[in-house]
Order: sequence, then C-alpha cells, then structure tokens
Amino acid sequence: MKSLKLLISLIVFALFLSVGIGNSIADEKKGKALVESKKCGSCHKMQGPPDKTIADVLKRKAPDLFYAGSKFKIEWLEGFLQKPTMIRPAGTVYVNNIKMGEKKDEIGDVKPCTSALSKDEAHEVAEYLMTMKEPTMKTGVIVDDKFSKAKAKVLFGQKEGCSGCHRDKADSGGTSCPTLYNAGERLNPDWVFDFLKNPQKYDPKIWMPRRELSDEDFMLLAKLIASMK
Amino acid sequence: MKKVSLMVLSVMFLGLMITPLAVAEKAEDNYKLYCFQCHGSKGSGGGINAAALSTAPRDHTSATEMKKLTDENIFTAIKEGGAAVSKSTFMPPWKSILTDDEIKDMVKYLHGLCKC
Repeated sequence: MKSLKLLISLIVFALFLSVGIGNSIADEKKGKALVESKKCGSCHKMQGPPDKTIADVLKRKAPDLFYAGSKFKIEWLEGFLQKPTMIRPAGTVYVNNIKMGEKKDEIGDVKPCTSALSKDEAHEVAEYLMTMKEPTMKTGVIVDDKFSKAKAKVLFGQKEGCSGCHRDKADSGGTSCPTLYNAGERLNPDWVFDFLKNPQKYDPKIWMPRRELSDEDFMLLAKLIASMK
Repeated sequence: MKKVSLMVLSVMFLGLMITPLAVAEKAEDNYKLYCFQCHGSKGSGGGINAAALSTAPRDHTSATEMKKLTDENIFTAIKEGGAAVSKSTFMPPWKSILTDDEIKDMVKYLHGLCKC
C-alpha cells in the first residue's frame, strides 16, 4: 500500500515536471518567434562571434545578446523587456554619443531600448534569451555567503578604479560603462566573475581591459557587485 | 593512410591561412575608443568620466605636461597602468587589448597631440 502511494506520488510529480518543462519549451519557442518578429537582431547581435575590429564596434547599436542567458537574471530581464531603463548612461558605445562642450565632453541624446512587451511576451522572450549561454562559463562559483565588503570596496574604488567608468551610485561614478549600482538585480554573479577575469573573451575590443588579480579578488568584486541592489 | 594524413594536414594548413590574424588598429582609432572616455575627444582631459576620477586625467594637448614624461614612462603607463609609474590607479593596464606595437604607435600619436 505504502509503495503504491509512493508510486502514485512519483507519477504525479513527474507529470507536473513534464508539464512545467513543456510549458517552458513552448515559451522559449514563442519568445524566439517574438525576437524575430520584433527584429531584435537588427540592433543586437543574437549570435557570436563578437566584433573583432574597432570599425565593427563603432557600428554596434545595442549590446550583444548571444550570451544573455549566462549574463542576466531572468526576473530582471522580464521587467526590463516590459519597461526598459538606461543601463549605459552614454549609450551602448559611448564614443558614438559624446559631443564636445565648452571645456569637456558631454553626453548627447541617448535613449533606452524601445522594447515594450506585455508581461506574457516579456516572460517568453526572457525564457528564450536564457537559452543563450556562454558554454565555457562555470556556474555555481559565486556563492551567497559572507565576504569582506571593506576589502572589496578598496579593490573596487581605489586599487582597480572601477568607479572611474561605472556608476556605483545613482549620482556618482563614471558614465562610459554600464551602471553597477543596481547590478545585483540585473547580473548573474557567476557571469560577472567570468567577465571580470577576461572581458576580452566576451568582447575583444571592449574598453575595459583585463586586470591581473587573484581568483579570490575577482570573487570579492563579483560578490560586491552582486550586493549592489 | 599516408594520403589521409596529408589531406588532414593540408586542410589544417589551409585553415590557418584563412583564419584572420588580430587586426592592428590605428593609434587614432585606439585613442578614440579607449582614451576618449577619460582624456576626452580633444585629448585635453575632459572625458565623460573625468568628473568621477580623484586625479584629473592628463591633458595630452599640453606640451608642458607631456614633456615631464619620457617615452618609456608613457609606454609603461599605457601597458601596465598608472600604478606602474606611480600615477593614478584609474589609468588601467591596456596590455590585454593593445599590442606593444600599438602602444608604440600610441606614444607617437600622443607626441602629435601635444605637438612636442
């Protein structure tokens, strides 16, 4: 009797699981169709390889998405796709959006992504984007545990000067690179770690050079960025 | 068997011939993409990140400022970062992106900016 109950429970569980997986696959398919019909690929690179020359980078209209599933958190993607916000204060390729002011450069007119999907559409597109993974990225590397925030902040602000190019608060920090003060909601910490270790793996011409730090220091930075919410 | 090995080797050789090598960029283009962000589009230190830096980026158009540095200083600062020449850590090491030859070209380009 007991084993029969167990068997029934297992069958019910397996049914739920298969329905869940089935729904997810259906959403991915719908998401793919949406990405195609909305022509996301006209601005975003949906397939690698990344740009290898400056001339190609200067033609870039929007961030590469062919590793979006490794980079982003799905919850954030769903919200962003419904109501996009500015992540890069000076646009995707800052150098295309600056103009000389009186004494210094100023950022011109920069607008966020025009995506305005419904909640269901955003879920479907996010499910599809999450299938686009960087195959060499290790997962489960950055765990949510205690770390020395003070040491990480010294690395971030002083030793490596990250705030020179990234906004670490809504009103301070550099503007040529993505904002980081909300990166904990947006980015997968494992991807942050992998990217920090070698930004050129993802984007050979990105204006963020590789640093020679220990894995421990890269982990501290990834954890600090994950805590920025 | 020998024929197959020869064919495989030929295909590998052809592959190597077709694979494009990393493109050496012009100093002007490297300066634009990598240096404008802090040193500004005129090279005078007025980049969009300048306000966020605790040390003002060097004015590359100032002959007075640039004459304080040797070519070796400039090369090392670009390749290894500001800290390597006891300058600002906000100047990162660019060696993962720029080759030694590209950095040498950049040093020449900077002489053009300061006219010195």
